[in-house]
Amino acid sequence: MKEVKLFLGPQHPGMHGNYSVHMYVDGDMIKKARPTPGFLHRGFEKLMERRLWMGNLALIPRICVVEPDINEMVYAMGIEALAGVEVPERAHWIRMMILELGRLAIHMMAIGGIGGPTGMYTATYWGIAQRDLILDLFEKITGARIYHMYIVPGGVRKDLPEGILEDVTKVLDQLEKNLPEYEELILRHPIIHARIKDNIMLPESVVWELGVTGIGMRSATGTENDLRKVKPYARYDQVEFDVPTATYSDALTRMQLKYQEMHQSIRIIRQVMEKMPKEGPVRTNFSAGSALRFTVPEGMVYTAVESSRGEYGYFIVSDGKEQPYRIAVRGASYPQGLLGIEKYLTGYRIDDASIWMDTMGVCSPEIDR
Amino acid sequence: MTNSMSNWIETLEKDLGVEVLDSPAKLQYFIDVEHTNVHQTLAYLRHVGFTQMSLLSCIDWIEQGKFQLICILMNWENGVHMLVRTMLDRENPEFTTITDIYPGAVYYEREIHEFFGVHFRGNPTYQKPLFLERWDDMPPLRKDFDPQAYSDSKFPRREHPHVFKTKVVEVTE
Repeated sequence: MKEVKLFLGPQHPGMHGNYSVHMYVDGDMIKKARPTPGFLHRGFEKLMERRLWMGNLALIPRICVVEPDINEMVYAMGIEALAGVEVPERAHWIRMMILELGRLAIHMMAIGGIGGPTGMYTATYWGIAQRDLILDLFEKITGARIYHMYIVPGGVRKDLPEGILEDVTKVLDQLEKNLPEYEELILRHPIIHARIKDNIMLPESVVWELGVTGIGMRSATGTENDLRKVKPYARYDQVEFDVPTATYSDALTRMQLKYQEMHQSIRIIRQVMEKMPKEGPVRTNFSAGSALRFTVPEGMVYTAVESSRGEYGYFIVSDGKEQPYRIAVRGASYPQGLLGIEKYLTGYRIDDASIWMDTMGVCSPEIDR
Repeated sequence: MTNSMSNWIETLEKDLGVEVLDSPAKLQYFIDVEHTNVHQTLAYLRHVGFTQMSLLSCIDWIEQGKFQLICILMNWENGVHMLVRTMLDRENPEFTTITDIYPGAVYYEREIHEFFGVHFRGNPTYQKPLFLERWDDMPPLRKDFDPQAYSDSKFPRREHPHVFKTKVVEVTE
C-alpha cells in the first residue's frame, strides 16, 4: 500500500477560510490527518496589548468574520465587569437583537454552505441571497455590513434608526416564509442526504474528550447546554426560547439543529422587539474626558457567550492602564479544529473531509487569531 | 450566590485546602494554587462536575519574574467557570502536562510553548511549531519581545517618497 500526501486547502473551495489539512491517503481513504493552522495568524493577542481599549474595537470583529458581533459582546462584557459599569436597559435588548441577527446570518450561510462540499450549488446561492437581506439590516443599523463595531463597552454605539423595527419584521417574515422551502430543498434533498446522513459521527465521549461545545455538544449529549440558558447574559433570562437537542449526532442532525435554532432566533428577536424599552439611553460613558483614552481597573475576568459554534470567550487582564495587559481568545472551534482533525478525521474519505469541517464548525480565524 | 452554591464552595475549600476567590463576573471564581498542586486540584474539580476545559492560557508578569498559567474550567450543571491559577518561574518555566486530566489541552500546551516558551513535561508534541512558521526569535507573546525591532532586523526598510506627477502625459495616437 502506498501512501500519498495530499493538501486540503487553503484554497480549496470546500475549505473554511485559510486553513489547511495535510492528509496521508491510501486510495481515497484518509489514513492520517494533520491540521496546519497559521495562514490567518495576524497576532491579534499581541496587537491588542499595544492598542487602546477603545482602539481594539476596530480589531476584534476580524477574529470571526461571519459572526463578528460575539467578539464585541464578550469584549464589552469583560470591560464592564472589570469596571463595574451598568449597561442601560435598552442597550441590553439592542445587543440581543444584533447577536441573534448575527446567528441567523451565519446559520443561513452554513445551511446554504453545505451545498458546496456536497455538490449542490443551488443551496449555496439561496443561502447567501437570504443572508444578504440580514446584512442589509446590519448596514441600516450599524453602517457596516460585515464588521459592525456596534456593541461597545458601556452599551451600543448609537440608537436604532427610525423605522428599523418594521424593516426587521419584514425580513423575519420573509425568512420565516422561506425556511420550509430551504428545508425541503436542502435538508430533505436526496443528493445531500446521500452524503451527510449517518456520516461524520460525533459520539458523546468525543465531545467531552475534546471539549466540543455548542451544537456539537447538544446534538450528541441531548442536554440543553446553551450558555444563554445556563448562564444568561444580556436579557436572555427574560425571553422564552427552546434549545433544540438530539442524541444521535451525524452531520444531518447537526444541520437540522441549525435549522431549528433559526426558528428560535426569530422567536427571540420578535420578543425583543416587543419587550425592549421604547426609548432611553443606550450607552454609559466611561470617562469624563476623552471617550478614547479611558482606563480599566486592575483585575482579570473571563467572559463567554454562546456563538453559533459554541462557547466563545475572552480572558481579559488589565493592569489599570490605557491598554489591556493581556487578552486570550477562546475560539469555539479550537478543540474540534485541531485535536479533532488530528484524531477523528482518520478513516473518512477525501471528499468527506470538507463536510467534516463544515458540519463540525471549524472557523480558521478564531483558531489562528 | 444561592445557598447551595455557597455550601458547595465551602466543601471545595475544605477538601482542597484552598481559598475560592470571587471574580468581577457572576458565577465565576478563582483558585490560586502552587504549581505542584495544580493536578490534584484539576482532578478533583473534574470529578465534581467541571468536565470541560474552556481555555488554557498564560500571562507574562515580567516585573515579578513570573509566568502565570490559567486553566479555565466549566461546569455545565450550574454554569460556573472556575479559573485555576498558578505561578511559574520565568527563568525556567517548566510544568507537567495536564493532558491526562483534560485531553483537549494538548494543542493549548503547544500554543503556550510557542508563544511563551513554557515547557510541558509529558506532552510529546508540545515542542512542534503550530502557528508561526520558521520562527527564530524569542516567544513573541513575552512582554520583552519587541515587534518593531524584530521587523527591522528581518525585513529591509523600504522608503516611500511622496512623488507627485507634475506633468499630465497626453496619449497620442
